[in-house]
Amino acid sequence: MSDNLEHSFVKQLQENQNIIHKICRLYTNGDDAHKDLFQEITIQLWKAFPKFRGDSKFSTWAYRVALNTAITLYRKTKRSINTIEFEGRHHFLNDVEYDYEEEEQLKLMYKAVYQLNDIEKALIFMYLEDKDYQEISETLGISEVNARVKMNRIKGKLKKILNPLGI
Amino acid sequence: MKELDLLKKDWQKNVNSFEQVSESEIYKMIHKRSSSIVKWIFIISIIEFVLLNSLSFLFPDEQMSKSGVIDAFIDVLDYLSYGVALFFMYLFYKNYRSISVTSNTKKLMECIINTRKTVKYYIAYNLSLILFISLLLVFYRVQHSPIWTSADTPKIIFTCLISVFLILVLLVFVWLFYQLIYGILLKKLNRNYVELKKIDL
Repeated sequence: MSDNLEHSFVKQLQENQNIIHKICRLYTNGDDAHKDLFQEITIQLWKAFPKFRGDSKFSTWAYRVALNTAITLYRKTKRSINTIEFEGRHHFLNDVEYDYEEEEQLKLMYKAVYQLNDIEKALIFMYLEDKDYQEISETLGISEVNARVKMNRIKGKLKKILNPLGI
Repeated sequence: MKELDLLKKDWQKNVNSFEQVSESEIYKMIHKRSSSIVKWIFIISIIEFVLLNSLSFLFPDEQMSKSGVIDAFIDVLDYLSYGVALFFMYLFYKNYRSISVTSNTKKLMECIINTRKTVKYYIAYNLSLILFISLLLVFYRVQHSPIWTSADTPKIIFTCLISVFLILVLLVFVWLFYQLIYGILLKKLNRNYVELKKIDL
């Protein structure tokens, strides 16, 4: 029975692991920290798995546990962002036609997102994942209206980081 | 915001850029120990309960054996504090059990903060009890020492003040050390909790 549970968990996690990778990418810098957080999220998911009923998708359930682990349970705090490390770590231009301006913009944008605090990152993450405001508000435990307001503020903050002089 | 749209497009496209973790690696991971703050709070709290409860056994009994009244009083306090300790442990266990990683983020944070508060109150209660008993002992000792009969009032007051001062310094030191442990442990959580609460203001 428990072997079955374990097998089913490992299989589903293996298929859905990119969710966790994305959260690790957002909340850590450096490969070691990434692996460390990935492991902690995996442990938390496994501990919570017996209660997973399957009335929601595994991925939806995993989002919540993974975000909670990154924001709340994970103890190690991130160090300041190292630009070189950052550029070396992201290969987001592998299969894009080479557009210098776009590349620059993307780089700046990723950098700006890294400067947000943990809660703001959670909102941005769910926005990037195309989650609606209802799910965002349910996941974080804030009202839907306030989630929208906050999201707009974050966009403003990003704009300011990208263009501090407001030109 | 067009930069954000660009980011979203890139974000969703780059799903496959992560080094994939194999099933056997996941098997290994789920048998490793968690290093989450909940686990640390649990371990530290249990240590605190055990330490504080064994502290009463360390208090020497012989120095009070002459006074029936204080002896009896401390006996009562002893039994009372076992009851209080059990009550706190029950509260702690209840709060600890309510921590669920599948609740929403705010609720999860509140559960952790509550669990931790239980232990904090227990510590505060114990430190005040220690202060109270120590004061009792100081005055008892002074009253039964030669300086009391010598009727040297300044000396008596001086001795009392010094003792009280030393006890207070010790307790403040213990309290600060305690705050430091949890300050380090919960710094991130508290910061994020404040941030989350601000959104709903």
